[in-house]
Amino acid sequence: MFDGQEDVSRRQVDILFPLPSHSVMVQPVKNIVIVGGGTAGWLTAGVIAAKHRGRIGNGFSVTLVESPTTPIIGVGEGTWPTLRSTLARIGVSETDFFRHCDVAFKQGARFKGWTTGAADDYYYHPLMLPQSFGQINLVPHWIAREDGRSFCDAVCPQGRLCDDGLAPKTIATAEFEAVANYSYHLDAAKFAPFLQAHCCDKLGVRHVLADVRKVNVADNGDIRSLDTPQAGEIEGDLFVDCTGFKALLIGETLGVPFKDCSDVLFCDRALAVQVPYASDAVPIACQTISTAQSSGWIWDIGLPTRRGVGHVYSSRHISDDDAERELRAYIGGAGKDLPVRKLPIRSGYRETFWKRNCVAVGLAAGFLEPLEASAIVLVELSAKLVAEQMPACREVMDLIAARFNATTHYRWGRIIDFLKLHYVLTKREDSAFWKDNVLPETIPDRLKDLLLLWSHQSPWFHDEFDRVEEVFPAASYQYVLYGMGFRTQLEPSALAGDAKNAERAMRENVTQTERLRAALPRHRDLIRKIVEHGMQAV
Amino acid sequence: MPNIQLLNPQSHAGLRLRTTEEAASHFVQIVVTEFAAAAACCPILFSKEPATGGFYAGAIFGFKAGENLLGTAEERGGFKPLTLQREGFFLSDRHIAIDRDHARFSEQEGELLFDESAEPGTTLRGIQRVLGDLHSGLEQTKTFIAALANLKLIEPIDISLRFDDGERLTLQGLYTVSLDRLRDLDDASALGLFRAGHLQFAYTMTASLKQIGRLAHIRNRRGRKSSDQK
Repeated sequence: MFDGQEDVSRRQVDILFPLPSHSVMVQPVKNIVIVGGGTAGWLTAGVIAAKHRGRIGNGFSVTLVESPTTPIIGVGEGTWPTLRSTLARIGVSETDFFRHCDVAFKQGARFKGWTTGAADDYYYHPLMLPQSFGQINLVPHWIAREDGRSFCDAVCPQGRLCDDGLAPKTIATAEFEAVANYSYHLDAAKFAPFLQAHCCDKLGVRHVLADVRKVNVADNGDIRSLDTPQAGEIEGDLFVDCTGFKALLIGETLGVPFKDCSDVLFCDRALAVQVPYASDAVPIACQTISTAQSSGWIWDIGLPTRRGVGHVYSSRHISDDDAERELRAYIGGAGKDLPVRKLPIRSGYRETFWKRNCVAVGLAAGFLEPLEASAIVLVELSAKLVAEQMPACREVMDLIAARFNATTHYRWGRIIDFLKLHYVLTKREDSAFWKDNVLPETIPDRLKDLLLLWSHQSPWFHDEFDRVEEVFPAASYQYVLYGMGFRTQLEPSALAGDAKNAERAMRENVTQTERLRAALPRHRDLIRKIVEHGMQAV
Repeated sequence: MPNIQLLNPQSHAGLRLRTTEEAASHFVQIVVTEFAAAAACCPILFSKEPATGGFYAGAIFGFKAGENLLGTAEERGGFKPLTLQREGFFLSDRHIAIDRDHARFSEQEGELLFDESAEPGTTLRGIQRVLGDLHSGLEQTKTFIAALANLKLIEPIDISLRFDDGERLTLQGLYTVSLDRLRDLDDASALGLFRAGHLQFAYTMTASLKQIGRLAHIRNRRGRKSSDQK
């Protein structure tokens, strides 16, 4: 390097990109105010604070305002594997997470009775991708064989691992690393306080316990500040609405309408109950169990301490009393006197998620029945997007908001399509609920088109799901479609070129399945060991 | 099933200790006080206890289960890990217990454990010393590992080896001290490690990695010899 070289290049940059003359007017975004102290609020606080760690204390702040009186809803107990990387990024230890939030492993979902309602009707939507998914689409090869093995068992070990009640890793596997892909079941009422402690102690998030009495809006329509009796006026540059169904900022203050989607997804009520285990030797299910009912379905989630069971149903198709009867029948004798909590649910989402200087995350942004545990993953994705795209100044915020809205709309649309897919493939005709669910006018156009396409070619990689951070990958569609008996028309001669590779991949699946079944510990045993010994960070 | 008995001069008056071949082991647990001697002949790495997932330190004698490339203690320059020296003996609280069915014990040959006056003989006194050293060594090693883990200094290491006969071996589940992170430590943590006596052990471990190449060389030479004989 010779003298003066740097100066020359810097001058060239200046010539190419002259600083805008209005730059003196820039209004920097430095103070982030999150309203609401539930899972959405604390996850968002953690993700933003971790991403901007270096700036906190240097003029940048993350404040979470939580009402000391409003209770947390906390029903969301299922998660997606994304939560592993989210927690790792925030900097919590997975061992601490297990010790504080009554966490269990989740390796997917078992859907019972969704196709025919017969006693032996079930399929898995596991979290592992089909074997060699990046190289080969095994669907046509599996269809061509039709040897009676389920799609899941033919292409991935995880259904068998769930059947056997095995954990997805061992005590010697490092924190957040998997032997078989996994996410978590957790106690949401313990998750929020756990995140709070970490956010406040380690990440420098300011926690303000105060009720928001009034939201002050500036002349230009931006939210300027919050009036609270306990902490006075709280100003901010960017507000995150995590106030749950109330949607205090995005709905009540900024008037963004709610887009109802109960014409597609009918369920509008939920009954939840906590079921204790008969003893602490009872195995813990390592998958969510979703069992179809006459007019809805029942979730069954195993935590180390108890099961969380709930009935999600359509009040247009069944009365509350009958829904409760179905729930109690599912639980059996042990559940006779357990108290049932009724939760109204409203499927739909905000027409705009980020308006002016306010972005909605969590239930304030919308809600969908918890069929595929989409609530917390949407919070993670939204929080990550806000953190990564954090506008440097108010002048660029609307551009980023437009991007955020486009991405988030796309995600909600795809989740609705994917949830509806579980209903449109049913062959049940035993109640109006199931019959109404396959009426063409209740199926989104995009899903209709895809179903037509999939009758001639199976979903794989680079077709319809091309976005980075697609919520549900093509593999998920494969598991549901072919788990529910959907069949794609085949041209057998088209398979010949790949037949050997497919053969090899399915053989590898058999080997891998046996290897994992021999190596993995029982689910409850591993959780006990994690609590006792902890996992290593590496 | 081992036959565990508390050692005492009444029941074990005629018991003798034979000289037996040490068990062929490719990874032998060692303690920090043995690091310097171990590093002179073999690599020292961490592995995880299958039951708890916790780290322990071990000396590598071979690359496959049951493979010992380093021969006897004499061939290793006298290095014999405490865990091999104490074979058949255990500490139960402050008492010594034995596995009576272990091949080391005999009524006919070897050195008597107790002398005529029912006092521990030279051999047993040696074993007492070994068990004591092992006990305190394990405590020190635990402290050392906890200090490293606390500073996030332990990192996984994948060792891939290719031998002249075409065999490839990948060793997994092994860990070592990260020199990069050690270099990046803040002054207070580095001084803390030094004052606690941990720093020398960390450097001994990383230096011992050089022995992997030497072991591979021994294995290669041995493979060539056996194929020459065919």
